Amino acid sequence: MTTNRDAPTRVVGAAVRDATPVVFAYTPFGLALGATLAATHLSPLVAWSSSPLLFGGAAQLLAVQLLDAGASAVLVVLGALVVNARMLLYSAALAPHTAAWPARWRWLGAYLLADPVYALAITRFTGPDEDGPRERLRYYFTVGLVMWPAWMALTGAGVLLGGALPASLRLDLAAPLTFLLLLLPMLTSRPAYAAAATGGALAVVTSGLPWGLGLLAGAAAGIAVGGYLGGRHD
Amino acid sequence: MTELLTLAAIGLGTYAMRAAFLVTAQRQPPAAVARLLPYVGPAVLAAIAAPAFVAPHGTIAVADTAPALVAATVAWLAWRRLRRNLPIALFGGLAAWWVASWAVTAVQATS
Repeated sequence: MTTNRDAPTRVVGAAVRDATPVVFAYTPFGLALGATLAATHLSPLVAWSSSPLLFGGAAQLLAVQLLDAGASAVLVVLGALVVNARMLLYSAALAPHTAAWPARWRWLGAYLLADPVYALAITRFTGPDEDGPRERLRYYFTVGLVMWPAWMALTGAGVLLGGALPASLRLDLAAPLTFLLLLLPMLTSRPAYAAAATGGALAVVTSGLPWGLGLLAGAAAGIAVGGYLGGRHD
Repeated sequence: MTELLTLAAIGLGTYAMRAAFLVTAQRQPPAAVARLLPYVGPAVLAAIAAPAFVAPHGTIAVADTAPALVAATVAWLAWRRLRRNLPIALFGGLAAWWVASWAVTAVQATS
């Protein structure tokens, strides 16, 4: 399947088809984040530069809000890096699927490794398609090149529209709903359900911890429970 | 300027974490690690999303929690029933949230 001649076009098409609805799903979150960025005392351009610099909404939101509140630079960097520590896990989970790529593509691909890119890529790479390394590379970068400009444009539009978005248009639940919908395709086994249930429950219980440490606690516990149950099922 | 440098430092740190395993690629991670990797996505995404549904403003309050949980349920059901259509599930969830929030406010106002 992976060697026939129209495979590249097919993989690129599949990536565009998979990524486009995710862009739609991210629209409310991106606009709301942009409006929040614009509402801080930071200059709009500096606030928006968090999009190309960080390419990840959760850490952007935390960093810019902490900066706006006058927190020290060290504290802001630490907090945002704790929130983004999940990228280490994404990197580890994706590495076996990208090991055969040329090094420069892996260096470049690392920049694009945001939540939705990870979620789409890992769902595809562990699914029934059995792509080879070249198809996986095409899929990954096509998804990245759809998501990246879209995120720059959405957050930019949010900054520009800022106050023009009606206050009654509440979008704050758009972000968690988007994460929920990225999660659902990953629930393919009992241990995966257990990992999600444990991670979610512990993150709720520990949500009072500073710097997003609750997220890390939940994630660690969920991964451990999933691994334990997955091992028993083997 | 300090603010831009702070954001740049976060960007560098984030890039380092994203690159950590990708660029040192070993074809096979150690077996003990490999067994855990499939659960990274479910555990992390649930840990991000769940607190926002259960305690949207940091605490559990019926007026906030109930509409958010209704939204999550509607989005989940819509995704399952409607051929995994992401935008419909998302906007269905948001619409359910608006309606449920309005209903809770209305009920509280009359009681």
